[in-house]
Formats: sequence, C-alpha cells, structure tokens
Amino acid sequence: MGKRVAKVIAHHAFTPLADGSHENYLRVKAGQTAVQRHAAEEWDLGEDFMAGIIATPIASPRATNMALHSIRQALSQLSGPLPPADTLLVVSTTKGNVDKIDDAADDELRLGAMADDMARQLGLTQQPLVVSNACTSGVCAQIVAQRLLMTGRCHYVIVCGVEAQSRFIVSGFQSFHALSPEHCRPFSSNRVGLNVGEAAATIIYKVSEATDVAADEWVLHAGAIRNDANHISGPSRIGEGSFRALRAVMHDATPDELAFVSVHGTATPYNDEMESIAIDRAGLIGVPVGSLKGYYGHTMGAAGVLETILSMEAVDDGTVLATLGYDGQLGVSHPVSIAAENRTTDKRSFVKLISGFGGCNAAIRMTKGGAL
Amino acid sequence: MEELIQQLKEQIIEVLNLEDVTPADIDNDAPLFGEGLGLDSIDALELIVMMEKEYGIKLKNPAEGKEIFKSINVMAQYVNEHRTK
Amino acid sequence: MTHLGKIVITPRGVELNSQVYPTSQIGDALLTACYRSCHADYPKFFKMDPLCRLGFIASELLLQSQDEERFIPREDRAVVLASCNGCLHTDRHYASTIHAGDNYFPSPAVFVYTLPNIVTGEIAIRNKYLGESSMYIVEDGLTEEELVQRLAELTFQDPVTTSAIIGWVDYHDGDHYNAILYLIQK
Repeated sequence: MGKRVAKVIAHHAFTPLADGSHENYLRVKAGQTAVQRHAAEEWDLGEDFMAGIIATPIASPRATNMALHSIRQALSQLSGPLPPADTLLVVSTTKGNVDKIDDAADDELRLGAMADDMARQLGLTQQPLVVSNACTSGVCAQIVAQRLLMTGRCHYVIVCGVEAQSRFIVSGFQSFHALSPEHCRPFSSNRVGLNVGEAAATIIYKVSEATDVAADEWVLHAGAIRNDANHISGPSRIGEGSFRALRAVMHDATPDELAFVSVHGTATPYNDEMESIAIDRAGLIGVPVGSLKGYYGHTMGAAGVLETILSMEAVDDGTVLATLGYDGQLGVSHPVSIAAENRTTDKRSFVKLISGFGGCNAAIRMTKGGAL
Repeated sequence: MEELIQQLKEQIIEVLNLEDVTPADIDNDAPLFGEGLGLDSIDALELIVMMEKEYGIKLKNPAEGKEIFKSINVMAQYVNEHRTK
Repeated sequence: MTHLGKIVITPRGVELNSQVYPTSQIGDALLTACYRSCHADYPKFFKMDPLCRLGFIASELLLQSQDEERFIPREDRAVVLASCNGCLHTDRHYASTIHAGDNYFPSPAVFVYTLPNIVTGEIAIRNKYLGESSMYIVEDGLTEEELVQRLAELTFQDPVTTSAIIGWVDYHDGDHYNAILYLIQK
C-alpha cells in the first residue's frame, strides 16, 4: 500500500452571511460583514456589543441544530450515504449549548452528550469525539481527523465546528475587556479588540491513496498543536507556540509554495502582535497574511473549520482575501504582508494558524492536488 | 482610612484566592503587581470587578486600573474619593 | 510504548504507581491536602477551578515520582486528556455571577476556567511543556485501556512527541471526581 492522505470530499459553511461554502466565499470576496451592533438589552448585558449573529430562527438547542444543518448540507454533496460504522464524527466547540445553562440538566449540556445526540440523529454508530481546545478547536479537530484516518480507525471523518453566541460568552469577553466597541481592525495600529460571531462549518475527510488525489482536490498535508507554556489567558509575547506549530507544518515545504497564511488575527493588541512575531520567526514574513475576523467576528469553536473552508475557496479562485477592517496602518512590530484589498495568487497551498486560551496554538498546511 | 485599608486587604485576599497571604503580609506602599503578591492580568481584571461590586466604582478601561492598583494606599485613596456605596 | 508511571485520584484517596499515597482528607479537601504534602509551592493552585486542581495535583504527584529533571522547556512531551463533564461545574459557577439585575458581576477569573482545555494549559505552564496540549470530551463508555490506547494512538502520530501525560480528568462535584493519568514513553 502506498502513502495515504486525508482528502477533503465535501464542505459546508452556515453563517450569518450565507448558507453554503461558496455562497459565503462570494460574500466575503465582495467585502460584506456579518458583524453588527447589538444593544445591551438584547441579552441583558452591561454594555452594547458587536457580533455576527445568525438572524434566521434556529430551534433549540441552537448549536446542535446549526451543526446538524451544516453536516447534512455537506453530506448531501456526496454521491451516496457514508457507511455509518466506518464514519466518525469529530465535533469542535468551546461552549456547545451553554446558552441553555439556566434551565437545562447536565445531560443536555455536556459536550459529549451533544455530540452523541448529533451522531444518533445522523444515524452514525461510532462514538463521536469532541475536541475542546478553546479557540484552536477547529484546527485541532482537523488534525485529529487526519490522525484517525491514518490509524485506520475509520475511512471517513466528519469534522464539524460550531459555536452559538450567547449571553454567557459575550459577558465573559466583556469582563475580559477584550471586545471592540466597533468593527474589529485586525493588524491595524488602532485595533482595540475582537468581535464575536457564530457559525457552523463542516469538512468531510476521507482516507485516500496519495496517488488518488485529483488536481482539484484538497489534502490536509501536515498539522501540529503546540502550547506556549506561558499563561492561561494571554498569548506568549514571543509567539512561542504559534512559531513552533508553524515550524512543524512547514518542515517539508518552502514559503514560496504558500498562497497565504490565514492567521488567527482576532484584532486584540496582543494576539496580532504575537502572530507577527511567530510568522517572522518561522521564516514566513514574505508570505501574504490575512485574517477573516472582520467578516464574521471570532466564531471560536467554528473558526478553524470555517476559515479553512474559506481559504480553500479562495485558493480555488486564485485569490488572497483582503483583511476586512485593516486600515493600512500596520500596528505590529514585524512587517507581515497584509492587505485591505483582495490579491491574486497562483499557488496551491496555504497554512491556517490559530491560537487560544490555555496557551494552545495549532496550524495545518493544506495542499491542492496530488503533486505536492 | 485604616479601616478601609484593612477591609481592602481582606477583600483582595478573598477575591484573588491568596490562600497563604494574610493582611499583615501586604505592605501599604508596596506595588500590588509585579513581584510580591505575584498577581497577573486576570487578577487585575478581577479587581476591576471588585471595585464595582463592593464600592460602585466603574472603571471603563483596564489601563486605569494600572494607576489605581499601584499600592494599597493608592487604592484606598481612590476608593475613598470615588465610592458610591 | 512504555508506561513510566500511573496515578489514580478519587475523592476517597490517591494511588500512585500502585502504592497508596497517604492523605488525611477526602473530597475537595483531599486536593488541597495533596498540594500541601507534595510541597509544590505554586500559589496559582488556589486560583484554579476544581478540574484544574485535580489535573494539576495528579500530574504533579505523577511527575514527582519520576526520576527526571523538571521545569526545563521541552517540546517532546504532550499533555492529552479526556473528560466527560469537562468544565460544566465551572460553567454553572460562572453563570451564577451573571444573574440579571443587581447581581450581574461577570467574573473574568471564573470565566477563564469555563474552557475544558485550561487544565492541559496549567500543566504545560507548570512544567514548561511546549509540545502538544489537547482536551477531548467524550461520554463515559470506553474502558480505561481503550481510552488510553486511543489517546496514545492519536498523540504519538506527531513526530516530535516522544512522551506524554495521557489520561482522564473528570470533575462533577466534591464527592464525584476522578483522575487517571499515565506517563507514557513512545
């Protein structure tokens, strides 16, 4: 048997902007944002907040149903049903259905119970797994998917990242003074904080012979998870974990292969600065860099999956997406190549970088076509 | 003022879970952050909550905290001037 | 794969490398008693939520039982844990700080612990582990052997990872918690 790889066979994104990966990509390419101002009274909070919230009604439990919708839409792209006993569901979320905390029992709130419920509704028989590594979860879940496929534990993995916004989460970020009172401005000198958002995003991976990857198919080529070993809520000031994750995924690649690095880019002062240092330390300072947070806000458990999907769509379209909210005044110490306008590319590979509370950082390198 | 200082020390020990620290261990003029009590950025945010909860003082910007939490004496002075409860 | 050490902690006692580790307390007080008796000298312990205290004490006792130099930055050791309840106990604690009306004082120090992976971060910070840290949430169901086998299988696919703290940390309340941690060499 030859070298095996984890190949993308379907994906779907459900966000406030659109229902569908390509539909979302077109909105993003056109510079639209899901982030809007919400009054404090809407959720009985101390202050107004900026967030990307899905306006169409979703039945409770919201996170479960957002995720199921996205997974079913992804499954519908396949020519037939996946074999239930040979398909594993990996859910990426930080807070699941926590919006119900005041009136739900533990059985409804545990993230594992949420995943079991989803698997049951999808008719899957293998026990699902939840990856809960804070805001890196969506990238970590894809790394886990690749590893599950390489061990031969199953032939298909459905990765679903989901986050429903709630009073619980927004009040917490407000207590951290981490939120921007306006649209977030990633990497800009006057950035003051992040916006939050919600989304469900699904990527279905299949184990495949490396020789059986078509020119237009995506492969998760490398992935790594690294800790800063520094602080539970603040990133390493020298981008230690992000640098090490980048170094690991670039060990058999050169920077000129990359169309871009899709960074975390939350627009908090520390995050963006740290990422500029990590990118420089990893020798990637010349590679185009972009953050998608201006379009959706920070979608937490969904972010890693959603931003991977949009990055695949962008490369498919020969585009490096603009960083919405970047005002042209670079506000980080290392000169990363970031732009307020869409650019073109002919490269067939990108890196998705992400970091989160608990000091965790994760990166994946995705490549298109079997040749790389 | 002495009473307020003692009360602030007890409240800080309680909200920041400084298990092995007694009020007598906290020097009125020593910096609260940096060396000494080993407080960090989350502690600073928690002190901002404490100021609002106990004294009705709302700090909009964490940067203000830097000045106010310089030492127990500075903090007590500020609370004394700005408290609404 | 070699098992270098194993610890089991329940509210009723501690078993370290198949030996009873002496404790005078039970429940939540057991974790504090262990903190005192192992002389970790790490005041941040008292700021941690119960899940982190449990994971911290389990990893601390496990690592103290090993003949290896500690606190040297290293990328080759992972911290990979699984849990059923995750941080649900702390979620409920945080929810109690955001009651509507006059009792709305969201606590950042509690909120930060409403992420299940913080315990892996606390262990990484304490020990200067720059390698992988991961938290998986699953419902009860796998046997201990199955769980450890599967976590190890996932973890050691990272070529840099040569050893790992792998296992289970679960906290429901002071009378219902357990930790089963292994130190495993690839």
